[in-house]
Amino acid sequence: MSKSYFDETHCAFGHPKSTFMQWMLTIDHKRIGIMYAVVMFTFFFVAVAAALTMRFELFAPGQQFIDAHTFNQAFTLHGVIMVFLFIIPGIPAVFGNIVMPLMIGAKDVSFPRLNWFTFWLYIIGCIVALSSLFNFNIADGKLVFNFADTGWTFYAPYSLNTDTNVVTTLVAAFILGMASILTGLNFLVTIHRLRAPGMDFFKMPLFVWGIYATAWIQLLATPVVGITLVLALLEKYFGIGIFDPAKGGDPVLFQHLFWIYSHPAVYLMILPAFGIMSELMPAFSRREIFGYRTIALSSASIAGVGYLVWGHHLFTSGMSDTAKTIFSFLTFFVAIPTGIKFYDWVATMYKGKIVFSTPMLWALGTMITFAIGGLSGVTIAMIGSDIHLQDTYYTIAHFHYAMLGGVVFLFFAGIHYWFPLVFGKMYSEAKAKLAFYILFVGFNLLWFPMFIAGYLGMPRRYFDYLPEFQIYHQISFWGAIIFVTGLIFMFYVLIQGIRKGKPSGVNPWNATTLEWHLPSSPPPLENHTKVPYVDFRPYEYHHGQPVVKFDENMKRID
Amino acid sequence: MAHDSHDSHEYIPEIAVDRNGKEHVVQGWQGDTYGGKLGFWLFMLTEVMMFGSMFMVLSYYFTLHHQDFINASAGLDRVLGGINTVVLLISALTMGLGLLRMRSGDVKGAKLMIWATMLLALIFLGVKAVEWTNDYKEGIFLGLQALQSGNEHSLPFGEILYFGMYFTMTGLHGFHIIIGIGLMLWLLKRINSGKVTPEHNILHFNIALYWDLVHLIWVFVFPYFYMIGAGGAIHG
Amino acid sequence: MANHTTVDYKAEKGGYYKVLFGLLALTALTFIQPSMFLTHYTFGMQMLIGTVKAWIILMYYMHLKGEVLIGWTVIFAVFLVVFFFAIVMIDVNNFQFADVSHITSPAQ
Repeated sequence: MSKSYFDETHCAFGHPKSTFMQWMLTIDHKRIGIMYAVVMFTFFFVAVAAALTMRFELFAPGQQFIDAHTFNQAFTLHGVIMVFLFIIPGIPAVFGNIVMPLMIGAKDVSFPRLNWFTFWLYIIGCIVALSSLFNFNIADGKLVFNFADTGWTFYAPYSLNTDTNVVTTLVAAFILGMASILTGLNFLVTIHRLRAPGMDFFKMPLFVWGIYATAWIQLLATPVVGITLVLALLEKYFGIGIFDPAKGGDPVLFQHLFWIYSHPAVYLMILPAFGIMSELMPAFSRREIFGYRTIALSSASIAGVGYLVWGHHLFTSGMSDTAKTIFSFLTFFVAIPTGIKFYDWVATMYKGKIVFSTPMLWALGTMITFAIGGLSGVTIAMIGSDIHLQDTYYTIAHFHYAMLGGVVFLFFAGIHYWFPLVFGKMYSEAKAKLAFYILFVGFNLLWFPMFIAGYLGMPRRYFDYLPEFQIYHQISFWGAIIFVTGLIFMFYVLIQGIRKGKPSGVNPWNATTLEWHLPSSPPPLENHTKVPYVDFRPYEYHHGQPVVKFDENMKRID
Repeated sequence: MAHDSHDSHEYIPEIAVDRNGKEHVVQGWQGDTYGGKLGFWLFMLTEVMMFGSMFMVLSYYFTLHHQDFINASAGLDRVLGGINTVVLLISALTMGLGLLRMRSGDVKGAKLMIWATMLLALIFLGVKAVEWTNDYKEGIFLGLQALQSGNEHSLPFGEILYFGMYFTMTGLHGFHIIIGIGLMLWLLKRINSGKVTPEHNILHFNIALYWDLVHLIWVFVFPYFYMIGAGGAIHG
Repeated sequence: MANHTTVDYKAEKGGYYKVLFGLLALTALTFIQPSMFLTHYTFGMQMLIGTVKAWIILMYYMHLKGEVLIGWTVIFAVFLVVFFFAIVMIDVNNFQFADVSHITSPAQ
């Protein structure tokens, strides 16, 4: 395959000469992944700013900087951006795109032009979301901040009656949902069709298993929320009545429909992250992963069982007791495969030769924070305790430990792990480790007090509170300051790495999976020089060294 | 989705050699017909989830407002609905025969069948328009008083919800028919430019599948809305 | 890559027509059922007839017969829809507040 062939076919249409247009029209999975990362993390910082605004306001009881209505808009903005623009595209959009095809020895995904289209659909969704921030007041020519104030969950009937820009946000969420569906579709076909010869499903790296399980959720769960948003719009504009009690409609139905997607969505978030963990454990313990098959199958079962547990978000909604019982049972059940993974990871480290590089540090930190997040979830899977803890700071602490301390921490771990692959350079190891410690300390100071505050009764999404809760808000505030400092520092270290980092070589971690056997880093457009025949397992180590070795022409030399 | 994947007929698949010297063809993303079929089926599954959720909403309110639903259903025009059912059924046949003709080399016949399918689709839309107009004349339409609450014309709760979902689901279904017509026009264009041929016709195959899905949705929409009250509002 | 070598139109079209007549017959059944048989179970019967029609369309018009992987994905998706249905129906059929809710017992 000649280089010119790829240069000519690697754009959606036309043969642009300028580098800028080559990137804008690129169908190459690696470039698309990088572009997703840049946009996503920009929005991530906007959402962090919204959160920090809230923390400032909540430092003391009473009103200081923003009023109650703006506060509601702040937590809605934070949620909408974090969920729909950042964490749901998340790891699949970035590392699913960049790394997954490399790991299976493919030249690209199955539908590269669809991938290009999907990226721009995501951008359109982001633009529509941005447009919902402001209204242009023609009378006095002013921009009025009129973002939705419903919470990212848009519960009926309030979301249908409020004057804020709920509609544009729903449209944005719909478009972003379509992008998620198409990404999942693309990845499913890619994993089924484009694996290297000899690589059957149980020879795929576990990150690919994670992306595969995630893709099933992206494909089948997202349409449900898509149609829910459409129905909400039809209710608002045409009064079809389905969520309006005045017409015999039931707002609880909205909650059912919304959470039928949004619960599987959290598994969509964590499964690729667990996939990253499963890559890091063997590479930094220098031995084969323990329990490959069980980890692979647990990914599949989390995806499957995760569809069945949404009702635990409705325990206090007026749902029937029968349904509550069923959901509580299933929710306990879904924790089991995750537990299995944790045990397998710890067993991988046992008698391994642990390498404490930055990615491993992040992985180990996550094992602590996600364990807290996951186990706290089990405590509120019990109906009785959930009646007390639902919609309190306990819930907020739970899902931030799980999403931030699980998904995002592992996202950071993946960034530090695959950084040399994408950029061909290394960041400063010492500074990156310092960033980790700052973030870890800040994270726990920020979120742990919320478990206590919630248990003692502090409600979530509240603009004001009783004086007895102030101490917890103050500790959280300082935790937030430290955490944000750590974030800024971490990104500084990474950007310095891109600008001035030392060349890393092709396989700085001496890892085994196929993405580390490319001819150069950054990788060439065509990926591997030659696709190897895969008759080996993904994590074969012998005495801490990889068993399978290739020369520059991808010939086996072990 | 600008170009058909069979544009570049210079694609030569790579060969991987195993340790015994045996050659294996590497499946590339170009020229993957089965991948195109799989991908389109997966897309159709999303439509199943979407319409499935709407049926769930319908069933939710059928449970809460059982008799109202039956009463509302009794008032629908089963003759027009029945005509549409048969029209769509025949259009599924013509679409399938069109694909068969294409695969057997009869490109001209295939195009004829696609035109026939489009004609039937337009008839379907026409009949639907007549139905909706009749509903409007009786005062039953989105935004009119019968479907709002608290006024003297307001229908009972269950009937308001029934008609809300009726217009939503038949509306979305009709929207998918319009998209289908658009896809068929595009298919004709691709056939005329030689991009879809008796040897390379995955696009035709997928569009035929799409049309079958549209028909499949109607197979459930029709009895649910039109037939549950058909026995003269007997307990259904 | 071609799907098949040249297909024999005349031989295959018979199958398509058979399916058509089967579907037309089932449609006729749909119309006569509410006034002819099992009239107290109209909803169930209608859905059953619809399911049979859907099965025939899936297997023969959509060529699902013989597709292994795609068949399993369809089963998975349908299973999910059925599960969502089942649980939500269990919930709404055990609605605890039917006597006092405005939705089901509006105060006149």
